[in-house]
Amino acid sequence: MLEVRDISKWFGGNPVLHDITFRIEQGEVVGLIGPNGAGKTTLFNVLSGFYRSKTGAIRFKGEEISRLNPEDICRKGLCRTFQITKPFSNLTVFNNVVIGALSRERGIRQAEKKADEILDLVGMTSKRDLLGRSLTIADRKRLEVARALATSPDLLLLDEVMAGLNPNELKGMIDLVKRLTELGITLFVIEHIMTVIMGISDRIIALDHGELICEGPPKKVADDPKVLKAYLGEDYVAAQG
Amino acid sequence: MNKGAKRDVLILIAGVAFFALLPLFVKNDFYLDGFILIFVWGAFAGAWNIISGYGGMVSLGHNAFFGIGAYTSTLLFLRQGVSPWVGMWAGAVIAAVIGVILGVICFRLRSHYFALATLAFGQVASILALNWRGLTEGAEGLTLPIHPSFTKMIFATKLGYVYMGLGLLIAVLLITYFIENSKLGYFLVAFRENEDAARALGVRTGRVRLVAMAVSSALSALIGSFYAQYLLYIDPSSVIRLQIAVQVALFAIVGGVGTVFGPFIGALIFIPITIFLRAKLGSALPGLHMVIYGGILILVLFYMPKGIYGMLREKYFPSSRIFK
Repeated sequence: MLEVRDISKWFGGNPVLHDITFRIEQGEVVGLIGPNGAGKTTLFNVLSGFYRSKTGAIRFKGEEISRLNPEDICRKGLCRTFQITKPFSNLTVFNNVVIGALSRERGIRQAEKKADEILDLVGMTSKRDLLGRSLTIADRKRLEVARALATSPDLLLLDEVMAGLNPNELKGMIDLVKRLTELGITLFVIEHIMTVIMGISDRIIALDHGELICEGPPKKVADDPKVLKAYLGEDYVAAQG
Repeated sequence: MNKGAKRDVLILIAGVAFFALLPLFVKNDFYLDGFILIFVWGAFAGAWNIISGYGGMVSLGHNAFFGIGAYTSTLLFLRQGVSPWVGMWAGAVIAAVIGVILGVICFRLRSHYFALATLAFGQVASILALNWRGLTEGAEGLTLPIHPSFTKMIFATKLGYVYMGLGLLIAVLLITYFIENSKLGYFLVAFRENEDAARALGVRTGRVRLVAMAVSSALSALIGSFYAQYLLYIDPSSVIRLQIAVQVALFAIVGGVGTVFGPFIGALIFIPITIFLRAKLGSALPGLHMVIYGGILILVLFYMPKGIYGMLREKYFPSSRIFK
């Protein structure tokens, strides 16, 4: 589904991503973890076309996409959500989702029909007519997912859709993510809550200081000394040693 | 049809009938002139609204497109004998092409910077019109000979202009309504609300804005051509000076940007005020109407940030399919 080879990104002289290479297979749920500033969101920005990598290649469904604009990447079936939610504040929840659907659907009517289906799927039908700006953080995160879903993605990049939720909201979001996998959507998920990411991912990729430090099944990554070091520091690993 | 929708249709019919029939009973040219100006400025503000209201790209250079329309049809008629009915479309095409070029260059600029760039563009157009005397006769202006005839788009009575102006206004309102209910409208609003989110959802924000810019510029030029046919004398000061760009933005903002009827409502409020002040004060206090414009703008922005129509709509027509 997605093949990333040797991509790098600098901000000025700072390397934020360094020779990142990995693959995501169809139907997988892949978690992306790493301490703050590791480059997770930057990686999403490169994959979704908001940033350009000067090196390497990104192949999506066999097609090179690293030179495409975000809008064209989305139309190919790779959609992302934003960690800092970006609702269309002055539009209703419904119209937010309609806009997502319009890039794929032929007309307004079809897009409206699709939007209603999506709102039902994510459990926001009762919030249909609220304005984007009036939503709680949990609903904003849910709206991010709903809009992205409306574009009919094959691969969905979820950027911390579970951060800042209370336990109840969190459970709802986990259920939603599971439902997405049942729909056959491949997921690439940034999350900080370890128990959650370990639970939902088939495989995990860990970043630290822009380098891919570990990749594999959740259990393996959780026990990897490099990951422990990145999160907890050298001393902790030595003490455990 | 539910009750609210029925009410909306009745209000719409009443409104159209009012503006279509009332001029028949007005015998005074002074008031008929008022109708024409309301229609011209309502239509022009509506054209501005397409890129600046829906797309949020606030242009202060629309005087250029208005002027391009006025000068193109007038020059084609005077120099080549081309009927203004044809010339106005030539002006529209030229304005659309220039609008797209301006967009390609300036759309990377954000809000204030875009407004400033378009302001400069409008000024350049105005200075060109003043100094390119070989083409425009500069400040002397161009005079259209008064030979009323339909093919020359010169009407014997003001009533002809009233109905053509009304026709233009209705055309702009219909086009705006159509855009608002099309992909183009949704995408423009998505861009205005949040560019990154729009792009992430597959909205081709560049292309969408260029289309809106082309439509907005072309309509402005058509209205400029008509205005020239009404004045029968154009010079840089009457069809292309900076104040025109400021005024059209002002009407639309006070009326309500990003709505179908808002810009027209703005013109409907401001034009009578202007006419009244000019008639009462004569030339005693030149520029006073601009002071009053400024005052109204400040009051509206403070108390009705969505504009007069924007506020009315929220209150009385929140889910209307007609009053958008």
